[in-house]
Amino acid sequence: MKGTYLGELEELVLLTVGILFPEAYGVAVMDEIEKQAGRSLNISAVHAVLTRLEEKGFLKSSMSEPTEERGGRRKRIFVLTATGKRALEEANELRTQLYNQIPKMALQFRLA
Amino acid sequence: MKISPPRWADRFLEWYCNPALLEEIQGDAYELFYRNAKESERKAKLSFIWNVIRFFRWKNIKKRKPYQESTILHTAMLKNILTVSIRNLLRYPGHSFINITGLAAGFSCAFLILLWVSHEYSFDQFHTKKEQLYKVLTHVDANGTIQTYDVAGNNIDVSTVPEVESITRISSGNRWPHELCFRPEGKSNECIYFNGIYSNETLFSNFNFPILSGDPNPLNEPAQIAISEKMAVTLYPSENPIGKTIKIDDTREVLIASVFKDIPGQSSIQFDFALPFDILKKQWGIDDNMLAQQFFNIYLKTKIPVDVKTLSEKLNNEQVISAAYKAQKIKYEAYAFTDWHLQSKFENGHNSGGRIEYVTLFIIIGILVMSMAVINFVNMATARAALRAKEIGIRKVTGAYRGSLIVQFMGEAFFIVFAAFLISALVTQLALPFFNQLIGEPLTLNLLSDKMPLYLAGGLILIALLAGFYPALIISSFQPATILKGQLSNATTGSLRLRKILMVVQLSASVGIIIFGSILYRQLEFITQTNLGFDRSNTIRLEPTFTLLKNYDAFKNDLLGNPIIERVGASDSNPLNTGGGNIGVDWQGKSPDLRVSFKTIGCFYDFPQTIGLALLEGNNFRADRQIRDSLATEVLISKKAAGIMGFDNPIGEKITIGNAACEVVGVVNDFHTASLHNEIEPIILYRKKIFNVSAIYIKYNPGMAQQAQEIVNTAYKKIEPTFTMKYWFQDETFDELYKTEILASQLVLIFSIMALVIAIIGIAGLATFNVMRKTKEIGIRRVFGASITEVLGVLFKEFSWVLLFAVAVSAPLAWYSSTQWLNGFAYRTAIPWWVFAVTVAGAALLILIIIWLQGRKTICTNPTLALRSE
Repeated sequence: MKGTYLGELEELVLLTVGILFPEAYGVAVMDEIEKQAGRSLNISAVHAVLTRLEEKGFLKSSMSEPTEERGGRRKRIFVLTATGKRALEEANELRTQLYNQIPKMALQFRLA
Repeated sequence: MKISPPRWADRFLEWYCNPALLEEIQGDAYELFYRNAKESERKAKLSFIWNVIRFFRWKNIKKRKPYQESTILHTAMLKNILTVSIRNLLRYPGHSFINITGLAAGFSCAFLILLWVSHEYSFDQFHTKKEQLYKVLTHVDANGTIQTYDVAGNNIDVSTVPEVESITRISSGNRWPHELCFRPEGKSNECIYFNGIYSNETLFSNFNFPILSGDPNPLNEPAQIAISEKMAVTLYPSENPIGKTIKIDDTREVLIASVFKDIPGQSSIQFDFALPFDILKKQWGIDDNMLAQQFFNIYLKTKIPVDVKTLSEKLNNEQVISAAYKAQKIKYEAYAFTDWHLQSKFENGHNSGGRIEYVTLFIIIGILVMSMAVINFVNMATARAALRAKEIGIRKVTGAYRGSLIVQFMGEAFFIVFAAFLISALVTQLALPFFNQLIGEPLTLNLLSDKMPLYLAGGLILIALLAGFYPALIISSFQPATILKGQLSNATTGSLRLRKILMVVQLSASVGIIIFGSILYRQLEFITQTNLGFDRSNTIRLEPTFTLLKNYDAFKNDLLGNPIIERVGASDSNPLNTGGGNIGVDWQGKSPDLRVSFKTIGCFYDFPQTIGLALLEGNNFRADRQIRDSLATEVLISKKAAGIMGFDNPIGEKITIGNAACEVVGVVNDFHTASLHNEIEPIILYRKKIFNVSAIYIKYNPGMAQQAQEIVNTAYKKIEPTFTMKYWFQDETFDELYKTEILASQLVLIFSIMALVIAIIGIAGLATFNVMRKTKEIGIRRVFGASITEVLGVLFKEFSWVLLFAVAVSAPLAWYSSTQWLNGFAYRTAIPWWVFAVTVAGAALLILIIIWLQGRKTICTNPTLALRSE
């Protein structure tokens, strides 16, 4: 396993999977990212990230019931695992922590 | 109608996609497709295809389920395979020997050819600005046929051609003033000849001839010389030559300004020293004006690589070529400098090949020989497969997969190919000195230089694959049950038809090469036996010095005082190769449109008899110096020249050569003045003062070459004690004319032998196999009373069709290519049908002998033995 380092796109996908619970699968994740972050990804890229996250243990998946719109095929539904949740929290914490360390002066450029 | 995604894309997805992932991937793709289809069907289809392509990733690709453990060949198994391979090689030493030898022979041929070909291609490639270098060629229209020369007028003015950056003029030659005698310091009696060029200051900047020490621009000054490293070491073994003065022709002092690195063998410009044109003017005793009228090798360097056509057009502008030349229908052509070495033959103003023809020929021969060797290997390996059937059966029964068997047999092929490669590298290395001597080039085998290892490894793997693939496929396809039951059918020994086709290819190649080679030989024979119209045998050609010419009569009498010397004469050009023609010949009644090129030979009065020309009409030149009461120069014309001039009674007719008035005193027979590639041309022999001749010809008694050479040398030393005599035998000069052809014929001979050896190996292999296959048939035939000859006939029948096909393929090809080659000669031998007949009969006889040798044991053994064995 590659360790728990979370890439930028991985983090985005992971968050989206959390948002979409319990209906997170390839196309839905792709649509949600486009809607929320304005980034249009190719479906294959989303699949690649989802598989990678599952390999890292941040996600787990199961097959849904067949649906008409997919020509009777099932979806693979992804949900966050405990490690996935912790990874998100850690990433979030790290960010906040780093953000808070920025001196106030550095952020007051608008007044200058 | 319900729309659906493009079928092929969907199928492609299903084909490559890992089944475990297929459902979700296909599902997502479909979902997106149906969603997009609501907007536009076309867009939906395109995006579906795009998605399918994007899904084509390593992770999603279906991976073949690995065999459980079996793809990994255990070390024990590997060891076993290796042991068995080596045992197999050792058990049939004859077979292994033939197999490896055949391949090694093929490799060696290919190596030698590769070395030679890459040497040929490397000519002039060492100049860094080689793409910007052009040679100016001159096309002269002589009555409809265009003659091409590799020199151009020295008055060419390229200042109006913007592309041209600089121009290099080079005057080169084989004789004085290019071949000069230099004396090592302090040894004024010793004389060492070096060949050099006269050039302008751009020589060392336009071309990559690195200067090792001294003035980087030696030709800037009028009295300086640049010498090669070799020349420097020869003349000044222990001192620095820079700054020393050296005498040219023992009179003219020049300063040694620089020493340059020896010119590499792969340069088409060769010289040991370079002098400025000022020296040439003094040597020749001419002024600037006359120098401008000379023709030299002209090289142009452009700022960037340009199109030769546009450059050629600009060169033919009147300001560039000069109005005078333009009026004379002279045309210049810019020719890529690096192409010159391989493509320097011109026919009627158009390039018609050159050495490239031989290079291509040998590449083809190399490929043929190589493929013959590989075909042999394939044939032998499949034929031998029957013998190893049991091994394969056992291996399969004990659980070997087909894949591992293929690996095993490919490995064996690779092993043998590699062994053959090592042997051939050794053989090539050993053969290289002889080969170099043969072709007169210093080739070296360096397997580790540049990208060589890469190419070799690639070539090896390719050949091993080609050689091993088919046998491995056939052998590994055996059904263990049938094999172990002892039933060997045709199917288990590979397709007989394929083997026969391969045999046809092989025989065609060898028959073709042999036919071509023998025609080449016949033409060379024809060349040596053709009567040139004059006598070239038993003649020494001697380069005179000025002093010698001053004492010519004394020298001549001295020589003729000896009974071995028959005749002595002098002329300004060698009749074997007179060089360019003269279009400035005029006579009364010459049609103004007629442009005809004459070969003009300036000679002393004694020359025509010396070379044995037959006088058809009139008189020879008078022995006294000149017709006193006439200013006209005496000339002899050849029969063809008389015909062209249209003289009924040529004796006494007046003609002019250039500005010189001449009078015809006699007519001589036609003779060749160049190689047999060219038609006989009309010839004019005119009288020349003895000081203007370039060579003295000495005819001696047959078989007395050694003595004659000693006599001439003694006489020479009496007059010129401090010079080394420079002389040639005319016969050797004659061979020089056909250097390429002689070389080609020798190479073809070597490779024909190689091809023959490989073909014999191939026939032997197939014959063994056939005999083995037909052991029982032979037994039954013998029991029913067939004679040995009849049995042989049965075996030979297998080959008769193969041979017939091979001849049908190769004979027309060989005929065509040799006709093409012969067409390069104006005088050529006919292709006799018996060459084909003899080759075919020889091949048939050879096959018969091989079959007899191989089958003797089987045919002669008691048939009961053959029939009983099961």
